[in-house]
Amino acid sequence: MSRKGMDTARMIDELEATLRAQIARSKEIARLPSEQLLKRPEPNKWNALEVFEHMNLSSGIYTRGLRKAFERHAGAHPANPLFKPGRIGDFSTRAMLPRTDGQISWRMNTMRMFDPPKQQGASHESIARFIRLCEEFHALLEAARGTDLNRITVVSSLGPIIRFKAGDAFRFPIAHQTRHFLQIERLLRA
Amino acid sequence: MDLVRRTIERYVPLRTDEWERIAPRWAEHAFSKGAAVCAVGQVEERFYIVKSGVQRLSFPHDGQDVCVGFAYDGSWCGEYASFISRRPARFDVVALTDSVLVGIGHDDLQRLYAEVPVMERFGRLIMEELLLGRATREIEQMSLSAEERYDRLMARSPHLLQLVPQKDIASYLRMTPETFSRLRRRH
Repeated sequence: MSRKGMDTARMIDELEATLRAQIARSKEIARLPSEQLLKRPEPNKWNALEVFEHMNLSSGIYTRGLRKAFERHAGAHPANPLFKPGRIGDFSTRAMLPRTDGQISWRMNTMRMFDPPKQQGASHESIARFIRLCEEFHALLEAARGTDLNRITVVSSLGPIIRFKAGDAFRFPIAHQTRHFLQIERLLRA
Repeated sequence: MDLVRRTIERYVPLRTDEWERIAPRWAEHAFSKGAAVCAVGQVEERFYIVKSGVQRLSFPHDGQDVCVGFAYDGSWCGEYASFISRRPARFDVVALTDSVLVGIGHDDLQRLYAEVPVMERFGRLIMEELLLGRATREIEQMSLSAEERYDRLMARSPHLLQLVPQKDIASYLRMTPETFSRLRRRH
């Protein structure tokens, strides 16, 4: 990955593979005992279901934004074989991804609107919703093959003034999900 | 699933072949603290037995949640009126603690009523129980003083104090939190 430009088709292939793995793992996790899904490492820390709901709350901003953007601009910006990540989009995506040793590089505080215990809580249904969300990302990535991902922008979860290029609006939330899957696996092992 | 069998057998005896038809219709659902089991406006999909945790039944009124009941280990949970009528719920059911509920969907329960006669008897008995509970509560609400309502509840469900925030119990008893703590100090 380089800010100089990425092969769009390869980027889409890789993101789709990540999503398929996340969907498969989510289906396995949904069948685990309820007690394991509810288990908290400490009383005020998230359980696995709340991590799923957190991903729904944050990634949902991008699926909704991308869907609207593609509907509005479909066909106006034909495919571009190169995607050049935006400055903030690329920095944020890299900050999300775990280091090569699997450790999380940046810890951050969760905004209230993305904190399930302060919103509507979480349940088994949160996993089902997450699977549907990944399927929607996957379908949007297919639609993205015919569109220039440099030319369309989408509101980011960092706040309404920060917009991501469409390519980063896929890369960032999917990297964020990868990060949280590490947390889920840690919670389930505990 | 043991919980479901034990719960049903509190009301009706079950043969093994009957239980084998019943068991696959029930499934566990986990809710983290604060999650909505059912919300006003949604149609309640399931009828639940509580495996663990505490849930609150309430309705929004004048910007506040008026609490009308609690569910905990071994009791029923869900928005029954909506479950039966298939109309939008008028109550919120919220998990006050992390909760595991074992639920059956409306269609599955109807099918069991048709296929396993003893289940229909079970269904009648629990509806009777729920109806008697409502009738008792209605009389208590209209005829008893705050102090008497408090005493009745403490005699019937003393463990509630450990499980549920006091403001919810006060709301359930239709009194202010101040009256509630005054009555509590009296004991």
